[in-house]
This record gives sequence, structure tokens and C-alpha cells, in this order.
Amino acid sequence: MNAAAKSPIVSITNVTKDYTLGKVVVPALRGVDLQVHAGEFISIAGPSGSGKTTLLNLIGCVDTSTTGVVSVAGQDTQKLSERQLTDLRLHTIGFIFQSFNLVSVLTVFQNVEFPLLLQRKLDKAQRKERVMQLLEQVGLASHAKHRPNELSGGQRQRVAVARALVTRPQLVLADEPTANLDSVTGQHIIDLMKELNQKEGTTFIFSTHDAKVMSHANAVWRLADGKILDKLSAAEAQQAMAVGSH
Amino acid sequence: MLQLFLIAFRNLGTHRRRTLLLGGAIAGVTALLVILNGLSNGMAATMLRSATTLSTGHVNVAGFYKVTAGQSAPVVTGYPKIIEQVRKDVPELDYIVHRGRGWVKMVSDTSSLQVGLGGIDVQAEPGIRNVLQVKEGSLDGLAEPDTVLLFEKQAKRLEVKVGDTVTLSAPTMRGTNNTVDVRVAAVAANVGLMSDFNVFVPSKTLRALYQLKDDTTGAIYLYLKDLKQVQTVQARLRQTLAASGYELMDNDPRSFWMKFEVVNREGWTGQKLDITNWEDEISFITWTLTALNGLTGVLIFVLLVIICVGIMNTLWIAIRERTREIGTLRAIGMQRTRVLAMFVFEALTLGLLGTVAGALLGLAVCLSVNAADLSVPDVVAVFIMSEKLHLAVNPGSVVGSVLFITACTTAISLIPSFLAARLKPVTAMHHIG
Repeated sequence: MNAAAKSPIVSITNVTKDYTLGKVVVPALRGVDLQVHAGEFISIAGPSGSGKTTLLNLIGCVDTSTTGVVSVAGQDTQKLSERQLTDLRLHTIGFIFQSFNLVSVLTVFQNVEFPLLLQRKLDKAQRKERVMQLLEQVGLASHAKHRPNELSGGQRQRVAVARALVTRPQLVLADEPTANLDSVTGQHIIDLMKELNQKEGTTFIFSTHDAKVMSHANAVWRLADGKILDKLSAAEAQQAMAVGSH
Repeated sequence: MLQLFLIAFRNLGTHRRRTLLLGGAIAGVTALLVILNGLSNGMAATMLRSATTLSTGHVNVAGFYKVTAGQSAPVVTGYPKIIEQVRKDVPELDYIVHRGRGWVKMVSDTSSLQVGLGGIDVQAEPGIRNVLQVKEGSLDGLAEPDTVLLFEKQAKRLEVKVGDTVTLSAPTMRGTNNTVDVRVAAVAANVGLMSDFNVFVPSKTLRALYQLKDDTTGAIYLYLKDLKQVQTVQARLRQTLAASGYELMDNDPRSFWMKFEVVNREGWTGQKLDITNWEDEISFITWTLTALNGLTGVLIFVLLVIICVGIMNTLWIAIRERTREIGTLRAIGMQRTRVLAMFVFEALTLGLLGTVAGALLGLAVCLSVNAADLSVPDVVAVFIMSEKLHLAVNPGSVVGSVLFITACTTAISLIPSFLAARLKPVTAMHHIG
């Protein structure tokens, strides 16, 4: 099915976001418009300070825009209460962080199981089955009882991927998921995300400034100085990056 | 919820040194509270046992007889009839005794003492044998007329031993002085303050000294099966005795010897009965318990404040260290209330572990002290009414100590926990530090 024909899972209209640092107002986003459809594998690219993380925070409902409309899974996030936003994150969105952000005192299994416990939809056996299935998928079933500090960076990020996907969210947001990994491990993580996108149909939006990483995306939204520059195919984006770097 | 407890428990384990330090402080305060409660309960139990056997019943029917308006004697006339009525009116009764009461000068060859005098029928006194520990002579010796039971301290001061004679001198109801020579039949171990101003003689000897009739006594002591019935029985007796035509004094919760001045100022003559309970009669020494409880309260309050500040500080540090974790958990869908619960559980777990350990430590100290049968200095013995240190372990008070301190530590954790829960996910996630 053509992704563009479906209703967008993320719709951003004329969004601005300002940060106030003392008496200085710093604009992070300046009138961004963007739509992402279900099943897409989207990259947001741009240099440091371009507004990638701010945009992901708004899509992820962990922050609110100064003006404009951010709609996720058909819900205008400005109109939702704090509790409703938390519920939306729990049931609709999965997060993968640059520095993994696992709970250090929990095992791999417990970290992945945690969002399911918050959801309270599955019983113990169902949770175990779901978690182990995902750990199999990310190749960490044998590490289920390990603590995060016993794992390598790549393994930790795979745990984070499993945690993000365990609730079967419609949308997964990944903020520079490969930034803290070596290139081979980073490649594995992107391959894993792509595989899950294709198998499960989960929508992925990830930020990166690595041309190799963005080559896997269906489309690349380029950001600069808080504005969307353009929407390119992966090949076009790579070409544009290559020109830019020369 | 289990997962939140698990996180709390493991976080405490991760910061072992901090946990041990704070948990140890909580355990120390709990142990102190258990021990001080044990001391207080022990004192109360000893006081109750000693005082209610030696100088008061659970409920007393006593009173004053006045020949003239300004001259009173602490006696009850026609006591057999009153005892008969009391037996009918008080089914809660365990046993009943009557004792003469007076204040005498006791003179030996070398010294003299002013003491309170108790006139007893030793064969009819089941309780006194349980409380008095006779060191010399025999309690049964008091069955013989003109004998006396002294306490060790008094015997030492008068420089007398069993078989020696001392003279008792007291004013009679008619205002003349009378004396009687009595033989020391027994010397008992000291029982704190009681042994400073109490000696016992047979009832007949006391009557002879004060020139009282056979149907006159000092007070009727009622011992109940259940101490909780004291107020009910006291109130009932006031009604039934008044209905039977006895004149009653207004309720005055003080010991009988503190009422002379008031009674002598009043204009009436003849017999008036005074219904009191054990607390009234030993009100002059229960201040020690009140003082100890007050001191315990102040000490525990100060220590609790220190611990609460420690808990708050520890949680502040924990929240600062785990701000990014809070942000992550909020981002993946944890509600604020659960973040609050997570940190409250941490304080609760720490509080519970600390207090339970402290309670066990306190119990161990109490049991060890009791097993060691420790003697206390004379000054302390006066107040605790015993030469031995006895810490009464009351399960309810131990559980109460655990719950109270746990509740305090948990309650204080609400402040930092609430602020942690209020953190915006985006701010918390990007916290550096």
C-alpha cells in the first residue's frame, strides 16, 4: 500500500518552539510543517543545533510547542492533559535514546518488560512470551538475566530497541540511535530497526547526521536553523550531504 | 507495584554505604525507642505491682473520721459492714483486704525514723507475698502480735536485725501520744520509694497503738480481676455506698495523706468515705513516669528530625543522580503518581528495614538486660521501685515504634518524591549531572 495514501500518524503544522534562557529567547523551531505516514522509515537529518531533538521531543509528546499544531495518532497533543499525554506515550510511542537510558538496577528482561507492566494489559505468562520473543529478535535472549552494565554499547541499544517495541507501538522515535556506537554496531542497529519496520509495519522516525545511516530511510527530512529545508529520498540526501561536505 | 519495590530495593543495594549509614541511624533510633519504652513499661509495671500491693488497692474505700471539725483521722469505722456491701456490689472483685494506716516515729537504740505504718492481717494478704522478698526472718512472723516488718534500708539506718525491738510512737485520735514496742519479725528487700516510708505491723498492733475499735480500719483495698474495670467499679461504688446512706467525700485524685489539710478545714464531723483508685494514691510518684515519657518524647523527636533531614537529603541526592532515569521512565509512559510511589517506596523500604532491625536490636538489649538481672544504683531504685532493672517488652509498643518511625520516614520522603514526580520529562531526560 502506498504510505502517502494513508492518514498521517504524525502531522505537524506551522510549529514553533522557543526556549527562554534568562532574558534571551532562543528559537529552536521556526514554523515547521511535516507529515509522516504509518509504516514509513523516516530520517530527520541536520547539523547539531538544527532542531532535530526538539522536533522529536514534540512528536514524542515529552515537550509542547510554543505555537502550531502537533498531532500524533490523530490526537492534537496541545489539547491533552499531562496524564493523557503520558498514556499516549505509553500506548502509541516507543523511544530509543542516544545513550540507551536503561534502568541500571533492572535486568535486560525487566527493562524490556517494564512498559508492559505500566500498560497492565498482559498477564505474567503473556508478558514473558512477548519479552522473550523480542529478545530473540534482537539476539539477546541469552542475556535476559544480565544487568545493563554487563552489556556492550550495541547490546544495550538492542535492549533499548526491544523496550521501545515491546508494547507494539504505532510509532518509534529514535534520537541519534547510533551516535554512541561504532559504525559496525550502528549498522546492525539500523538493520534491526529496518527489519522490524518491514516485518511489523512499525513507523520509525530517527534523527541522525550520519549519511550512511540515513541511506536506509524511505525519506529524509533535512532541518537547518529550526526550519525544514526539504524532503529528499535517501539517495538524494546522501548526494546532498556529499556536496555539502565538499 | 512489585517492579517499583524491586527498583527501590535494588537502588538501596546499589548505594550500600549510604543505605547502611541511614538505615543504621533509623535502626539506632528505633532501638532506643524500644529500650526507653521497655524501661517506661517496666517502671510502670513495677510501680503498679509494688504500689498496688504495698500501699493501695486497685480501688480503695477509705476516708476520714472527725471527732471535732479540725481533728481528723484516716480511718473507716464499721468496716465489716462496708466489706459485706462491697462484695455484693463488685462482682469484678478478685480479693479484698483491709489495712490500718498511720504515721509513726520508729525509734531504735541508736536512731529513729518517721514512717508510714500499714496494719495488715498477713494470712489474709495473698498479694504481699509475691511482692516482698524477705531477706531475713519470715513474713509469717507478722501473724504474731507486736511485730514489725522493715525494709533493708530502714533496718540498716536503725541498726536493727530480726529479733530486735523498736518503739513505735504516734498520736492517737484523742490527741495523746501512745507508744508500742514491737519486735522485728522480718526484713524485706528494698522496693524503691515504697521502702523509704512504709513498715508493716499486724492490724491488732496498729489498733492498739491508735486505740481504735475492732471494727475500725484505715482503708479497704479492692483488687480486681481486670485493671480496666477500675473506673467503672469506682463510679459504681460511689453510687451504691451513697445510696446506702454513707457520706462520701468529693472526688480528689490525691493520696490520703495529702488531704489532711483540706479535710481539717471543712466543718463536718463524723465519718466520711473517700473512694480512690491506685493512680490517685501513688500520683505523687507517677511523675517519674511522666518525666521519663516526656524525656523519651523529646529525645526521639530530636533524633527523628535528624533522621528525617537525612532521608530528605538522601532522596535529594538519589533524585539528582537519577533525574535522567526519571525522564526516561516518564517518557516511556510512567505516570507522575508512579514516580512518586517509586521514591516513597525507597524511603518506605529503608524505613521498614531500619526499624525492624532496630526493633530486633532493642528487643535483644531488653532481653539481655532482664537476663543479666542488673542492679541499679540506690538513686535510680527509689524512682523505679525496684533494685533490679527490668525492661518490660510490650509487643504492641514494639510494633507501634516500628510503625511510627517508618511512617515518619515515609511521610518526609513525600516532599522530594513529589518534586521528582513533577519534573517535566524533557527537562529530566536532558539533565546533566
